[in-house]
Amino acid sequence: MRAPRTIDLFAPADLPARSAPRPAVQPVAPRALPPRAIQPSRAPLWLGVHVPELSGPGQPGTSRALLVLAARAQRFTPRVSLAPPDGVLLEVRSSLHLFGGVEGLCAALLGECAELKRTVTLAFAPTPLAALVGTRAQRPFRVLDAAQLTGSLAPVPVTALRWPQETIERLACLGVRTIGQVLRLPRAGFAQRFGTMRLTDLDRLVGRASDPRERFEAPARFRRRRELSYESASHAQLAAALRPLLAELGDFLTARQCGVLALECLFWHRRHAPTRCELRLGEPQADAQRLAQLLDERLRTLALPEPVRACELRAGLPVARRLHSAGLWQPGERGGRAEASGIELIERLRVRLGEEAIETLQLVPDHRPEAAWCRAAPGASAAAASAPPPQDGPDAQGALRTAPRPLWLLPVPRRLPQHGGLPRYRGTLHLEGEPERIETGWWDGRDVARDYYNARDVHGRRLWLYRERERPHRWFLHGVYG
Amino acid sequence: MSSRHPSVASGAYAELHCLSNFTFLRGASHPQELIARAAELGYTALALTDECSLSGVVRAHVAAKERGLQLIIGAEFRLACGLRLVVLATDRHGYGRLCRLITVGRRAAAKGGYHLTREDLAATLEHCLLLWLPGAVAQAEEARWLGEVFPGQVWIAVELLRGGADRAWLAGLERLGREQRLPLVASGDVHMHVRSRRRLQDALTAVRLSVPVRQAGWSLHPNGERHLRELERLVRLYPPELLQETVRIARRCTFSLDELRYEYPRELVPPGATPASHLRRLTEAGARRRWPHGVPASERTALEHELALIGELHYEPYFLTVHDLVEFARSRGILCQGRGSAANSRVCYCLGVTAVDPQRGAGLLFERFMSKERNEPPDIDIDFEHERREEVIQYVYAKYGRERAALAATVILYRARSALRDLGKVFGLAPEGCARLAKTMQWWDGSEALDERLRAAGFDPEDPALASLVALARELVAFPGFPRHLSQHVGGLVISAGRLDELVPIENASMPDRTVVQWDKDDLDALGLLKVDVLALGMLSALRKGFALVNDLRGTHHALGTLPAEDPEVYAMISRADTVGVFQIESRAQMAMLPRLKPRCYYDLVIEVAIVRPGPIQGDMVHPYLRRRQAREPVEYPSAEVESVLRRTLGVPIFQEQVMQLAVVAAGFTPGEADQLRRAMGAWKRSGGLGHLRDRLIGGMCARGYSPQFAERIYRQMLGFGDYGFPEAHAASFALLVYDSAWLKHHEPAAFTAALLNSQPMGFYAPAQLVRDARAHGVEVQPVDVCASEWDCTLEHRDAGQPALRLGMRLVKGLSRAGAERLVRARLAGVFSTVEDLGRRTGLERGDLEALAAAGALATLSGNRHLAFWDVAGVERPLPIEGATERDGVDVLSDAPRPGPSARQAARPLLAAPTEGENIVGDYASLGLTLGRHPLALLRDTLKRKGVRAAQEIVTLGHGRAVRTAGIVLMRQRPAAAGGVTFVTLEDETGQVNVIVWERIAEAHRETLVSARLLEVHGRLQREEGVTHLIAGGLIDRTALLGALLTRSRDFH
Repeated sequence: MRAPRTIDLFAPADLPARSAPRPAVQPVAPRALPPRAIQPSRAPLWLGVHVPELSGPGQPGTSRALLVLAARAQRFTPRVSLAPPDGVLLEVRSSLHLFGGVEGLCAALLGECAELKRTVTLAFAPTPLAALVGTRAQRPFRVLDAAQLTGSLAPVPVTALRWPQETIERLACLGVRTIGQVLRLPRAGFAQRFGTMRLTDLDRLVGRASDPRERFEAPARFRRRRELSYESASHAQLAAALRPLLAELGDFLTARQCGVLALECLFWHRRHAPTRCELRLGEPQADAQRLAQLLDERLRTLALPEPVRACELRAGLPVARRLHSAGLWQPGERGGRAEASGIELIERLRVRLGEEAIETLQLVPDHRPEAAWCRAAPGASAAAASAPPPQDGPDAQGALRTAPRPLWLLPVPRRLPQHGGLPRYRGTLHLEGEPERIETGWWDGRDVARDYYNARDVHGRRLWLYRERERPHRWFLHGVYG
Repeated sequence: MSSRHPSVASGAYAELHCLSNFTFLRGASHPQELIARAAELGYTALALTDECSLSGVVRAHVAAKERGLQLIIGAEFRLACGLRLVVLATDRHGYGRLCRLITVGRRAAAKGGYHLTREDLAATLEHCLLLWLPGAVAQAEEARWLGEVFPGQVWIAVELLRGGADRAWLAGLERLGREQRLPLVASGDVHMHVRSRRRLQDALTAVRLSVPVRQAGWSLHPNGERHLRELERLVRLYPPELLQETVRIARRCTFSLDELRYEYPRELVPPGATPASHLRRLTEAGARRRWPHGVPASERTALEHELALIGELHYEPYFLTVHDLVEFARSRGILCQGRGSAANSRVCYCLGVTAVDPQRGAGLLFERFMSKERNEPPDIDIDFEHERREEVIQYVYAKYGRERAALAATVILYRARSALRDLGKVFGLAPEGCARLAKTMQWWDGSEALDERLRAAGFDPEDPALASLVALARELVAFPGFPRHLSQHVGGLVISAGRLDELVPIENASMPDRTVVQWDKDDLDALGLLKVDVLALGMLSALRKGFALVNDLRGTHHALGTLPAEDPEVYAMISRADTVGVFQIESRAQMAMLPRLKPRCYYDLVIEVAIVRPGPIQGDMVHPYLRRRQAREPVEYPSAEVESVLRRTLGVPIFQEQVMQLAVVAAGFTPGEADQLRRAMGAWKRSGGLGHLRDRLIGGMCARGYSPQFAERIYRQMLGFGDYGFPEAHAASFALLVYDSAWLKHHEPAAFTAALLNSQPMGFYAPAQLVRDARAHGVEVQPVDVCASEWDCTLEHRDAGQPALRLGMRLVKGLSRAGAERLVRARLAGVFSTVEDLGRRTGLERGDLEALAAAGALATLSGNRHLAFWDVAGVERPLPIEGATERDGVDVLSDAPRPGPSARQAARPLLAAPTEGENIVGDYASLGLTLGRHPLALLRDTLKRKGVRAAQEIVTLGHGRAVRTAGIVLMRQRPAAAGGVTFVTLEDETGQVNVIVWERIAEAHRETLVSARLLEVHGRLQREEGVTHLIAGGLIDRTALLGALLTRSRDFH
């Protein structure tokens, strides 16, 4: 084997040169300039923030927590970029002097993070990728000088590059486990074996190639306040006062093709703390008119401690909304959106009566009468409410073969007194027909073993009774036929 | 309907629609339970009508005969159109048609399912009675069709199950019956023998639908009425004539499985000959080969006796069948050998089925090879080379056709693991929870208490749902175990003269090109059907390869059974327990026995093979035998008869045959009863005692003048034998292979090791131990090398002594055989100069090249593994893109043309060479072995600091010493017979340590014991008769240290 002629081709040759040393004596300025901070360089300096909690394969793309962190980071520099799922990049060269240098900046940023209850690691490097890699390496990484970059990166494991596992494994096969070892590989050979994309990654890492980063912008939230020219406690007046705010919200949302799931109104009073009025929606809404309607319903039931001087509208985070055009038919008309109007009714009822007040009934496939139905939130899939027992399967029990059941079941079966082995309920009962035997439900601790009978009481009412199969064979009333 | 049989009592009833648990995941009772319950309730008859299956009928048949209950054979079907019915066989012809119908349905669908149409039904069924099962809404059309196609054979089944509208349902069916002129009959849609199986039945339904039981909803039965109901209840529910009709139908179904008469295939006899004359001709021809100087007089008498017995029982075709298979194998050069009682007959010796020379066996083996009284088919298992057995199976299918030959089934039973996994889902446990639960229960047999284990695994045993789960699991696992599905037997082939599918239904196996009958081995035995076991044996493959290597090298003509017999050097090696790789006697338990037993002749090997089995160990036969063998205890017999049975084993029963013979000579059993005893021995542990056989046995011995102590001891020994007694007949054949493999190991260790490596996977040891052992015996082992290796391991000639063993590319993980062979072909054209050259000339896939690099097989071309990977990664890739090339230091300054391959070769990086640790780890990962140092050698300093001693040191320490040691876990075993003890073998660079882990310690360190690859053990030494064990007191998982081999090497640069 011949000794390779070329190694270490990643020397940071084309990094921006450091600015020329400043003159020893500053010329006296003809007019007073604000005292400018002395900056050794205008070359960018990147601060990488790594949030270990957000790492891991289970993490989605950009999490809320990361957005919050990025928004906070904007306090330090306008040049913030996201590196999902667990990193944020700050370009801080020009902010250093504002925060007392590297240490001061670190302390301030760590303080912010502590406030957000996030543990983070920080690293400084002349390139964004190196800053990220440095933070992930879990060791102090403060490279302010481009000349020291490759040396500082050398002991960092290649895994910090977040290359595909397959690439990492193939590098391991070469005995290459650190970035220093990668950087010593021949360029052409490396590109040939691992692809030019990986080579570009390395060039960006050491600053041989530019690495543009998209600037982070915090998503806007809608928040408007309106001072009233009068004090009012009338809900109609308040509704009218809110209307222009809602119209603005509508425009705001439409422009972004978004909707909101929650709204909050605050009403300011002279002495009392502001009254809050929250509105939650079944699906993302952007229609100002709908929102006004719903808010209107809500305001009717709102109790105000004293007249209102100002109102404010705050919308929740805008969320993506399924767009649809207006229907041709009016609600209720043939082909009109009966389904949609059903949802509207439910929403209106919810707003009026409270979230929990609206329920629907659903059938449950279970042989036990008391377990054969349940309450459910409206809008829950109606599919589960399947009809009668299926006709297929060797176990199927057919319609023809099962006895009718009453629609009205007692909430709890009522124990019946008995006389001579037969039940009594406000007098003697006449048992009719033949028993239906139900034995099931052992899996949830409500095992039943009963024989159901139809019976007529002295008034001729038809009742549904059962007799427990276990001794002492108690009798219960379970339902009444209409 | 008027009763035409006034004698029928008003309460008489025959259940005509009854599923057992062979309708998998529907029926919730064993056939035996159903029969027993039906008999108890006084039923006139019971029809077993599993869904499109007769898998349970033989068990039911045997149970029904015992109970004196009439069993009707039938099956339930759901046709593709939705029509449901029960078919009952009236006679042999009807039974044959039923079998064919099931076969048609099963063969038309994937394994486990069936597909039948009305046309199939109309075309196939004759001599059967049909019960129409009306659907939820009775379809008159179905009834009409059935009535028209099968006039006079169709009934409407009335199943009143207390749905609340039984009367209306009955009235509706009566009306329908009048309209369609079909009679009605009562039936019960029975799914279980007693009501209390309701929960299990619900749970099985949920398993079938793979939903949690709470979501199974309407698919569950509303109540538990589908059991065998008491007659008085039925009388109250059904009109009397419907009940009487069941009895009338039962009377028309006269078929019994006893009528099945099996006929052997006839085509093996040439025209003009009879089976007897043909067998005699073949036997005589063989005798001339075996005894070229004339058959000795004693052998002649024995031969005549055997032939007479075979003739009397008409077993000639069976022997001809076996002979045919053996001949086929021989013609293809496939090694095979028969074993089993009949296999060790002189007839089989002459036919070449076995090589057990009667004289070598001292004439002791052939006392009983078949018994007239037992009327049981002779038992011959034939072992074939494991890699080539499929050829034999396909030969049988081709020769006899799929209507006449099929594999026997194996009924897969619920085990703790599968039961808990399935039930976990039923109870809605998350998959992770199911897996954890199943893992907890790994070695559970349904009997011991579980609370502790459950708690340890993070479950609350008090939780009612968990308690039900465990209770249901117990029901599934309890003897004889719930069947879960049918699978194929390892090699039992059933061949018949006529249509096999009129004898028993045939279905598809999961393997393509395989078909199986619906009965398992015991079913076939119970009905006296012929089965030839075509088994796969790895050692036969290894021996053929070993002989070939030796013959090639030395010009000899070694073959099975032709090696120089009774070589004392071979026995000396065996007695040293130097038996890694030797057939049968290589296991740890066997190795512990060898120095004590010190085999000196062939028959000692027969005993050695049989004695290290759970049966003799639990029956406490081992120590008495050893004491007598070492003359530390007198050999005495209570009577001459007993002496005749036990003399060859010094008065201690070791073989299964001896136990049965003892029952005959000492307790007065008939051979038939003795056979019953053998079966009972297999099952007593799970069914609880031998019961009445015990009284017969002890009583019989006492009556014949044996002391009660002796009788009791024999009885206990029999109990201990249990399932695990080994027949002498099998041991005798195995012992031949033991000798042959030991001979090869002693005289030709290189060839022996190569043959074993080339037959993997097989045997007890992994390649690492085999290679290690070969090197310990002075064999030079060469690494896998693309410049020298073939696919198989080969021998390289050396001028003196043993040849060197060159490891083959078959050891390389991830390398395709086709790729390796292409490489070997390309190499014929000239040596490879570089990896680039190799890649170009072989056109190997990237995966194959990387596998070779990982194996270190490119070392000759590349240097080390790292460079090999670099070279491999550069082979045959598209040329680099411009941007990358122009910066390459080679040509960025000079305007040289783009570099050719050699220039690229030159631009190799300065990669750090792998460390020794990395190389060892790499070797293990790819080859499973290393020719470098043992990994523990690298860790020795670390271990020493922890006070851990090497295996070699331990050998020098005394009994009772407390020690710590650590090693790679070679194997863990938990033999059923060892009473909860786990045996672990550790290996370090100096040798092996055998560790015994008692149950208490095992429970306390479960996780470590099951998963550690590098294990540290603290314990005390136990030393007995030259055998050393370490009794574990504590276990520590040191697997992380192995990983450290890599990690540390990383820190070095």
